[in-house]
Amino acid sequence: MNILYSWLSDFIENPPSPDELAAKLGRVGLKVEGIKKTGASFSGVCVGQIMKIDKHPNADKLALVDVNYGPGEQRVVCGAKNIAAGQKILFARVGAMLVEGELKKAKIRGVDSEGMICSAAELGLEGDSSGIMVLPENTAVGLDAATLFPKADYLLEVEMLPNQGHCLSHYALAREFCLFYGLKLKEAKIFEGAAAGSAVPVTIEAPDLCPRYTAIVIKGLRGAMTPDWMADRLRAVGSNPKGNILIDGSNYVMYELGQPTHCFDISKLDGPELKVRRALPGEHFTTLDNKDLKLDPGMMVIADARRPAALAGVMGGLETAVSDYTDAILIESARFHPPTVRLASKATGVKSESSYRFERGTDPELTMKAARRLAGLILEAAPGAVVAQITDNCPVKYQPPVIEIDPARVNAILGTGIADGEISACLRAFQPDLKDSRPWKFTVPSYRQDIENLWDVAEEVARYVGYDVIPSVSRMPMLPSTSTPLWLVTSEMKNTLASLGFSEAYNYDFVSEKEIKACGLDPAAALEVKNPLSSDYQFLRSTLLPGLLKTLSYNLNRGRDSVLVFESGVAYARKDAGKAEEVYCSGLMFGNFPEHGFWKGGQAAADFYHLKGMMTRLFAGKSGFRFETPRKAPAYFQPGLCLEMKLGGSSAGYLGKLDPAAAAAFDFKDNNIFYFEIPLTCLAAAGKMEFWQKVVKIKPVSAFPQNWRDLSIVLEEKHQWGELERAFSGVQDLASARLIDVYKGKNIPAGFRSLTIRFTFSSMAGTLNDGDVGARMTAVLEKLTKNFEAKLRS
Amino acid sequence: MNATTWKEKLSAIRDSFSVSIAKSPAESPEAVELHYLGRKGELALLLRDLKDIPLEERKALGALGNAAKEEMTAKLDALKGASAGAAGPAAKPGLDLTLPGWPFPKGSLHPLTHTMNRLAEGFLKLGFTMSDGPLVEDDYHNFESLNFPPFHPARDMQDTFYVDAKDQLGKPMLLRTHTSPVQVRSMEKNEPPLRVFHTGRVFRSEAVDASHSFAFHQIEGLYVDKGVSMADLKWTADTFMKDLFGSGVKTRFNPSYFPFVEPGAEVDMSCIFCKAGHNAAGRCPVCKGTGWLEVMGAGLVHPNVLKACKYDPEKWSGFAFGGGIERFAMLLYGISDMRMLYENDLRVLKQVQ
Repeated sequence: MNILYSWLSDFIENPPSPDELAAKLGRVGLKVEGIKKTGASFSGVCVGQIMKIDKHPNADKLALVDVNYGPGEQRVVCGAKNIAAGQKILFARVGAMLVEGELKKAKIRGVDSEGMICSAAELGLEGDSSGIMVLPENTAVGLDAATLFPKADYLLEVEMLPNQGHCLSHYALAREFCLFYGLKLKEAKIFEGAAAGSAVPVTIEAPDLCPRYTAIVIKGLRGAMTPDWMADRLRAVGSNPKGNILIDGSNYVMYELGQPTHCFDISKLDGPELKVRRALPGEHFTTLDNKDLKLDPGMMVIADARRPAALAGVMGGLETAVSDYTDAILIESARFHPPTVRLASKATGVKSESSYRFERGTDPELTMKAARRLAGLILEAAPGAVVAQITDNCPVKYQPPVIEIDPARVNAILGTGIADGEISACLRAFQPDLKDSRPWKFTVPSYRQDIENLWDVAEEVARYVGYDVIPSVSRMPMLPSTSTPLWLVTSEMKNTLASLGFSEAYNYDFVSEKEIKACGLDPAAALEVKNPLSSDYQFLRSTLLPGLLKTLSYNLNRGRDSVLVFESGVAYARKDAGKAEEVYCSGLMFGNFPEHGFWKGGQAAADFYHLKGMMTRLFAGKSGFRFETPRKAPAYFQPGLCLEMKLGGSSAGYLGKLDPAAAAAFDFKDNNIFYFEIPLTCLAAAGKMEFWQKVVKIKPVSAFPQNWRDLSIVLEEKHQWGELERAFSGVQDLASARLIDVYKGKNIPAGFRSLTIRFTFSSMAGTLNDGDVGARMTAVLEKLTKNFEAKLRS
Repeated sequence: MNATTWKEKLSAIRDSFSVSIAKSPAESPEAVELHYLGRKGELALLLRDLKDIPLEERKALGALGNAAKEEMTAKLDALKGASAGAAGPAAKPGLDLTLPGWPFPKGSLHPLTHTMNRLAEGFLKLGFTMSDGPLVEDDYHNFESLNFPPFHPARDMQDTFYVDAKDQLGKPMLLRTHTSPVQVRSMEKNEPPLRVFHTGRVFRSEAVDASHSFAFHQIEGLYVDKGVSMADLKWTADTFMKDLFGSGVKTRFNPSYFPFVEPGAEVDMSCIFCKAGHNAAGRCPVCKGTGWLEVMGAGLVHPNVLKACKYDPEKWSGFAFGGGIERFAMLLYGISDMRMLYENDLRVLKQVQ
């Protein structure tokens, strides 16, 4: 909210400086986000007229201008493009105080300049500063320019939290400041007169939604204008004055006292009478700014005999609005049920300064004061006008909450030892007539709709004595703390992937329909965002793939040729499509491995087996881990180039080559992109294990030397290595069988391949001699021959 | 030892010295020198043995020993000259050890992960147990139970994304706007006392700029017990911040508002990037010259929240505090634009280990 320092100062006796004020407001929870100097803080500037413009002898873009400033003429050098002879302009003489400091006589490109023609910025004024400021033709030459603009002032931008409905005006903020810092609050001048008439009867049909409706009728207004001082203040706080006192005065009172008011043109009211009632189903209403709204009974209206004249608390109607010809008005100053105003504002999409304040709860005892303040301002501007009616309909009398305060409990909440006297001093700042008898019965002031209980009062006490009074001490007992299993396994996986060379990415959870389809998936199975920021973010990801592919493109476009990235995050599904949220760890590999070449060689194009090796490393030590041919792999993997990972009975995800269609849909030249995804719940059971259960038991090793033999065999290609490997189980004393070469080509028939396998034997019982090893190798070869028709390679 | 065996030993040392010298450069001259001529070298030890030999023989043997030493030193010097490469065409260059080593792949954890890990560690040290909750939440856990009544303006503080799914009450499900629903879920599942924390992703329907993102991360802790006060909160927040930024860091509370706490506070930490609000160039760009940085929100758990979780507010009280991971990461890594954290530029990511 914008607060004008001078306006605020109307209500504080001996106000502190703007900087001090801002700092002190911050300490009671009213954050001042900025202080801006406004108005004319310059001096030595007067209105001048451009008499003659000559070219500057030494510069094309500069001109020599003769300015008449009243007592005489001066020649200045000017660089603005919008100058013209005859213009009335702002002329700063040498010695003037401007934004940048004192103006000195200057020589510009060899020519003396005896002053300056000013732009708005040079004077610290708002407005177009692309050229000099041009004044209306009828401005008098020689006039002190400071008189043309509002006086120097400060604008404080105060952040307002939703519970600070009691601070939404200059007076209210001053009241808050004076209360907490012990200063004297000054009151605004209000109309004190009386009137007996009842020209416009007001009936409240929904007292639960409108407990109070104050109305003042004024007649004989015609043509009353907004005074300059009021327009200046409104402009300064960011409101656009219309020149009509009925509109501007109403806004002025809202910014000053916090009570929204509205003026109806009585001549346009049917009846004339007013009813405060629920809207009828389907009832239409045209707002001041000419929007047609369809209403429903959840909303409340102020209606005349025929139609709604205002959407209560939100906006007045066009048909009953005041104009420059309005002669008689009814000032509305009411209290409306905050949720009803909010509902109406949300449902119709109409937000206003009025609805903003009503939503936050207005002061029930403020309606008459605000109406009288507005009446007073209008009467000042329209001396011939008379007050014809003052009514205060109050079907539901406001009952302020009374809270019993035990100072010991306040101290228990705050953890402080604040003296009883200090607590009662705080309460008396709110309620001067608080009685001494215990327990203290604290009557909450009507403007503090947010104070409901002891905890709220404790906060006020803390604000009053200062939050610094709260000590930093604790007697908290020790409690055991643990991480979640999911956190543990995720951290472990992230660390291993990083040590394997993967960099971690963070992508957004939102994807487009196009991206879902590009992955070969069905958007109907994805969870949709009902109010997305844009169609790029319309769905929640069901796989982390699109984000990682974006990360890949981003980096390829910035000169990288190899990318190794992973991400851990949630993938979403519709609830009916199974588990709604699943945490995944996914990654991809592209380019060369390792990324940077080595001068001794050893770099290769990244391929499936690199990634498979990494997955093997990732799951090393996890019992029951294996690769399997998937029954049905996700659509974004190329068929036949994907393996499923299994951990015990559950799936541990997939790895493989990206499907060519997906790669093309994401605009990649080829599909040499190797991707994996691991649902982390497969590891949660491991994460749940106690630390000691996770520690691997160490097996004894043989004390005797091991022995090895290499074997080269030739067999048909249809026999996969995995099958051979399984066949070796049961060979006596076999410690390992490692594939060390695969060969096709010369000397190997088509459709066949040669495999070289290194068999290592080790026995716990003793040293194996050549004969022992030979016998075991014979057994191996027999198995290979029998099961796979393998032949020894000659 | 007598003179004869001494002479034999000297001879053996000379022989093996010659063999070693011939193996150069496999055996470096420096190593050979150390082995034979060093302070504890073979020759030195032999010369020391002279003390056991009768004086009349000792002098002659000493001369022999010194002569051998001179001869060996001369040979070594010649060899060293040659291997230094100055001597001539026969000189062989050594390995260029400045060549790069094997380019072991170098990965990285994201700055947000590092930050989150570090903050989580801070909570664990203070006895907070980690807890969890869903990202797609219902209105009750995200708002209503946390004292955001329907049609309350506090809901405007958190612009919400809704998804195409309904909760049990038929209200639209939403993407959680803060990590606080996990407070409620933890209290629903556990009896007091409890001390828990949660960290994770949250969503707000806001335009992205240097300090806003529609997806970001929070961490927050909750402690409920008998007689928990603002003082306990202050100590905990202060200890937490000191754990992160060092014992020199000061914290202060300012009044603030979050619907689910009362009293509410904002936690400021003293600016660690400048001294008393000013650096050499003038105003500190991080704290804008105030000397303080807003880092966390905090407060005592609102009685309405306790009631919603079926905790009796007359019997139990608690505090909650927390903040944005991005905010901490930006402070720690000196980042001024939050978008950098979501661009995934490997040139940036690989700077962090």
